[in-house]
Amino acid sequence: MEGTIDSLLLGFSVAFRPDVLVYAFLGCLVGTLVGVLPGIGPLTGISILLPVTFGLDATKAVIMLAGIYYGSQYGGSTTSILMRIPGEASSVMTCIDGYAMARRGRGGAALCIAAGGSFVAGTFGLIVLTIVAPPLAAFAVRFGPPEYAALLVLGLIFLSYMSSTSLLRTLVMAVVGLMLGMVGIDSMTGHFRYSFDLPELGDGIGIVPVAVGLFGLGEILSTPSAKVVSDVAAPRLRELLPTRQEWRQSAMPILRGSVLGFFVGIIPGSAHIISSFLSYALERRLSKHPEEFGKGAVAGVAGPESANNSASTGAFVPMLALGVPTGPITAVLIGALAIHGVAAGPNLVSEHPDVFWGFVASMYVGNLMLLALNLPLVGLFVSVLRIPYSYLYPLIIMFCIVGVYAVNNSIVDVWIMLIMGVLGYGLRKFGFDPAPLVLGLVIAPIFELSLRQSLIMSNGDYLIFLQRPVSLALVAVSAGLLLLAAKSYVLRRKDWRASLAEAEAGEAQ
Amino acid sequence: MTIRADHVAGAALIATGLLIFALSGDLPFGTLAFPGAGFLPKIIAAFIVAMGALLVAGAARSAPFRALGWDDLKHAAPVLAIAVAATALYTQLGFAVTLVLMIFALLVLVERKKLVAAGSYSVIVVALAYVLFTVLRAPIPAGPFGF
Amino acid sequence: MDRRDFLAGSAAALVLGGVKPLRAEDNYPSRAITLINPFPPGGAADVVGRPFGAALEAVVKQPVVIETKAGAAGQVGGQFAANAKPDGYTLLVHIVSISGFEAVDKLFDRKPKFTRADFIPIARFTSGPMALLVNAETPYKTVKDLVEDAKKRPNEIIFSSSGLYGALHLPTVLFAKAAGIQMRHLPTNGGGPALTALLGNNAQVLVSSIAAANAHIKSGKVRALASFSAERPSSLPDVPTLKEQGYDVEFYLWVGLFAPKGTPEAVVRKLREHTKIAANSEAFKTAVKNIGDEHAYLDGPEFQKFWDEDAKRVEDAVQTIGKVQG
Repeated sequence: MEGTIDSLLLGFSVAFRPDVLVYAFLGCLVGTLVGVLPGIGPLTGISILLPVTFGLDATKAVIMLAGIYYGSQYGGSTTSILMRIPGEASSVMTCIDGYAMARRGRGGAALCIAAGGSFVAGTFGLIVLTIVAPPLAAFAVRFGPPEYAALLVLGLIFLSYMSSTSLLRTLVMAVVGLMLGMVGIDSMTGHFRYSFDLPELGDGIGIVPVAVGLFGLGEILSTPSAKVVSDVAAPRLRELLPTRQEWRQSAMPILRGSVLGFFVGIIPGSAHIISSFLSYALERRLSKHPEEFGKGAVAGVAGPESANNSASTGAFVPMLALGVPTGPITAVLIGALAIHGVAAGPNLVSEHPDVFWGFVASMYVGNLMLLALNLPLVGLFVSVLRIPYSYLYPLIIMFCIVGVYAVNNSIVDVWIMLIMGVLGYGLRKFGFDPAPLVLGLVIAPIFELSLRQSLIMSNGDYLIFLQRPVSLALVAVSAGLLLLAAKSYVLRRKDWRASLAEAEAGEAQ
Repeated sequence: MTIRADHVAGAALIATGLLIFALSGDLPFGTLAFPGAGFLPKIIAAFIVAMGALLVAGAARSAPFRALGWDDLKHAAPVLAIAVAATALYTQLGFAVTLVLMIFALLVLVERKKLVAAGSYSVIVVALAYVLFTVLRAPIPAGPFGF
Repeated sequence: MDRRDFLAGSAAALVLGGVKPLRAEDNYPSRAITLINPFPPGGAADVVGRPFGAALEAVVKQPVVIETKAGAAGQVGGQFAANAKPDGYTLLVHIVSISGFEAVDKLFDRKPKFTRADFIPIARFTSGPMALLVNAETPYKTVKDLVEDAKKRPNEIIFSSSGLYGALHLPTVLFAKAAGIQMRHLPTNGGGPALTALLGNNAQVLVSSIAAANAHIKSGKVRALASFSAERPSSLPDVPTLKEQGYDVEFYLWVGLFAPKGTPEAVVRKLREHTKIAANSEAFKTAVKNIGDEHAYLDGPEFQKFWDEDAKRVEDAVQTIGKVQG
């Protein structure tokens, strides 16, 4: 422990050097910008600044690039809350209650809570990272395909808590999402599936075009400008900050989101995206007022936003402790270190303590910078809501097109976004919620891959899911949740979903 | 019998599921022990059909299809048409020209704003976005004039 | 494209146009050159392509832009470059797997999206040595141990790869064929996940570039049994090559530069000259050394010869894998 503190002090002595501070700030600033703009994610931001880092030393380079990554998680919620465009794939859940809060005039509060939650989550993640990175990393690499498949099954079971529509309608959406996730080259056999000879569809349908289309464009198509009373959303200055009650409501979700996000984040793969979905479902399950979700529940913003932030910190654990990338972004960071002759791996701490601890310490500093950067911006961002809707929505469409194009430099993605916009319009008309669809799309490729990988490993034996302790535990939790649901069904005890479905049916008649 | 919303939604799902089956003819199903490329897609398609059927079965409780109200289509259709046109032109005419035209068209044709207001708003907004995206060196397509 | 350059170019064309017919290739390059990187940022083509772009910029005195067109294991970028205007302003940085797409498409009776004939090889930059790795928890100390055990338990030992027919799958299959063994394939979706699978002992064997795995070899988490080069690579001087141990297998993770077919002869010649200077600059050599790759420059014609031989290996490996059942 004492060693850790000494090392951290060494780290801070690096992180507080003025030149290092400048690069950390630059990274955080670019991260905030690319996070705020839809489509341009941390990957684009990093590619932009990668050439700049050639002239720097390894410490500054990795500090600046990491700043882009965790900085973008701060900004990601901004367009979700203000325009219902998910800035990043991990901000999809924020669109629902964040935007609902903005429509109720609580946009500023939502932004503040997102920033505050991100700060707490980022700092929490860092503390855990500082103390126990190596053993956690060893656990993360052991998290193989069977564990993955079991985790995703658990995610699917959580689905019923994710949506305010009836269970059948939620499942319908999830299944359609899973189907969309089947498009592309089958990585096991090399078959092109449903890609109509378009190589752009080879890697499947992207999450960003689908989410931006369903939420952003879909919302615009279903909202005729004549019906919008524009002063509803424009908040007065004193209403920018969350009320005491809103902070109280968000405290526990922030803490739970931080813990959940961190542990999901350390798993290699794209698990960090599902952390926000899981957190949303968890909050709704635990909430005393689940019916508020979808209509501007504070917990629906606080939980997922904290989860995706601490997941992005968790993602550094395997990278720093083992040199193993958890996703495309940590892969670029490892590449950036390599360009400077620093090999990321188990020996990073002993061979380059200044890089390692400087990097960790700079993230503490970076989180503070981001909070200081984001809170004052809330006032500026909220003024977007002052633009009359008939002028605002052309702007949103522009961001949808430009942002989606920028993800992969691909016009095919923009067409997908338009199709999804039409679909989103139709779904809303028929009373379906698009959020489970996005979750299905995220899960499908990882689930299919890990299921088939597991079966390759076990030579076709499904018992592999019960023979490994972690996957056994996950399967047991899933089974328990199913049993609980079955019990309340058998005993005819109505839970909130049943009463909600009834209320829905009542409304419809 | 009145046709209700869930009749239509369910029918659309069933059609989608059947279409997927039709499209996945050459994808091998594999076995339960070793799922093939067509394994999950076909199972999912079956689920889609089944859920479509369930929706139809329980449709009596949903709103009548006629009651859905399509008057927002008067707004949605032209907005979508303009967005489609902009997408088609985006890589040809480039970022600046396409988007100025798109915002201008939305404001003038759909929102009936005055030409001067619409023109200046679209030019200013796109110019700001152009600066922002260029500074961030995000991939944006260049038109024949280089912007 | 830079607007100023465009205007300057047009003005020059207008002024000189009346005097003598000016062909575009005479003043190549007169504007920015785009290098297509067909892999996600941080991939093999990216970490070599970026420093090369910087070095080329200094030589041609024009901006060199890296454009990422990732997708389908490098096929999207390849197809984009194959269909680009062959004027020398859109070039492709690709790796060894460029030779495999045609064979794979033929396997599935698909029309190839592009073939090798769609490209003119300009230069090979690097030729990264690869190594046969096993998880340190396995009992294998030599290739012989592995082969003997694999013969006893056919299809039981699991190897991971970056993906079906990918740059890590192909050499594994060539080795297995030469050794006469069967191993079970665990495909993942990238070089990183493939290495993670090995580290977590979810796979026991992996053929990887030494650059990507060296830190883990040094820390003792994975063991290198053999290298795939003709001679022992400088990064692993104590590890024997497969050839030394009697397996006639060679494989390199090379990175090269290509121009689309139909690029004018004069432009190709100039491009080769410029590339030669840039690729042999100290800055570029240092960058390659830093990422742990091996600088191995080949000029167009020699590269073509190497590529033809290499493609035979790749096609052989694809045929050996064949169409996966299921």
